[in-house]
Amino acid sequence: MPTWEEVARDHGRFLYTVAFRLTGNDDDAQDLVQEALLRVRWGLASYQPGSLEGWLAKIVTNVFLDEVRRRRRRPSDALPDEPEQVLPPSRGADEDAARATLSDEVQAALADLPVEFRVPVVLCDVADRSYEEIAAVLGVPIGTVRSRIHRGRRRLRAALVERGVR
Amino acid sequence: MTEDVPGQDAISAYLDGELDDRERDAVAARLAATAEWRAVMAEVREARALVRALPARDAPPGLWRFLEGTLASTPVQPVGAARTSAARPGGSRARRGAVRTVAAVAVAAAIGAFVLLPGRSSTRPPVATFVETHAARSSVSEEPVSQLAPVAVPVRLRR
Repeated sequence: MPTWEEVARDHGRFLYTVAFRLTGNDDDAQDLVQEALLRVRWGLASYQPGSLEGWLAKIVTNVFLDEVRRRRRRPSDALPDEPEQVLPPSRGADEDAARATLSDEVQAALADLPVEFRVPVVLCDVADRSYEEIAAVLGVPIGTVRSRIHRGRRRLRAALVERGVR
Repeated sequence: MTEDVPGQDAISAYLDGELDDRERDAVAARLAATAEWRAVMAEVREARALVRALPARDAPPGLWRFLEGTLASTPVQPVGAARTSAARPGGSRARRGAVRTVAAVAVAAAIGAFVLLPGRSSTRPPVATFVETHAARSSVSEEPVSQLAPVAVPVRLRR
């Protein structure tokens, strides 16, 4: 059984990447990782040997969804999936052209996806989890996961077209 | 007998290898027969590839050391125990301040070493690493900003 320090050292980049893709910004990603590592520490005793990254993806997703629910109960707090909170403030076309890279645009479009689509897309395409694992994490049927991933990708593609990226 | 007609969401599952043989054959047949399905497939494939191509993201310098120090001082709770926000160690503001300070110090130290030691010696101490290490250790144990005084270390490296 790994120690939580080993988890942070060996899987920290994976954990942070998933957190960043879910939240869309570094500040929220750090909060997410901090809380996730706390839960890792508390949960290591009950960890069953298997896919450690699958377990970590489940924990970080649960922390993220808890936070989304908490913020929804407190509308004064910004929701991470509100575009104006995760996208840069309005930028001029010239600045856009100078600054934006394809990855930035994809990340911004991803952050713009509603949570119910973003989470399964991130778990599938960033965390490399199977539909079965995603269904277990989210507590929904596999058919729902399939539908959300597909619709999420179509929305993402449409958003990129709208941004003039594609 | 009515043959199952897959919905379009099977296209993503097809790309992800999440279909059984029967479904996969049905999707393949539909793709061969329908231009609309091929267009959707192209869109979904592109979106999927773009997300998968996003680079891994590194945490800001100092985050792991900060969390190591902070979490190590937190008592291990039994699984399922009730927790309050008060139990969360190292608030976001403190952590962000420490992490940003450490990052800034590391960058400044690296620049300082580059400017102050332009090829004078074949031995180049890993200044940024030293400074980051000491700064991070200070910042996790005490108030983060005032404990960063040792960051003047690179000045001593002048000859």
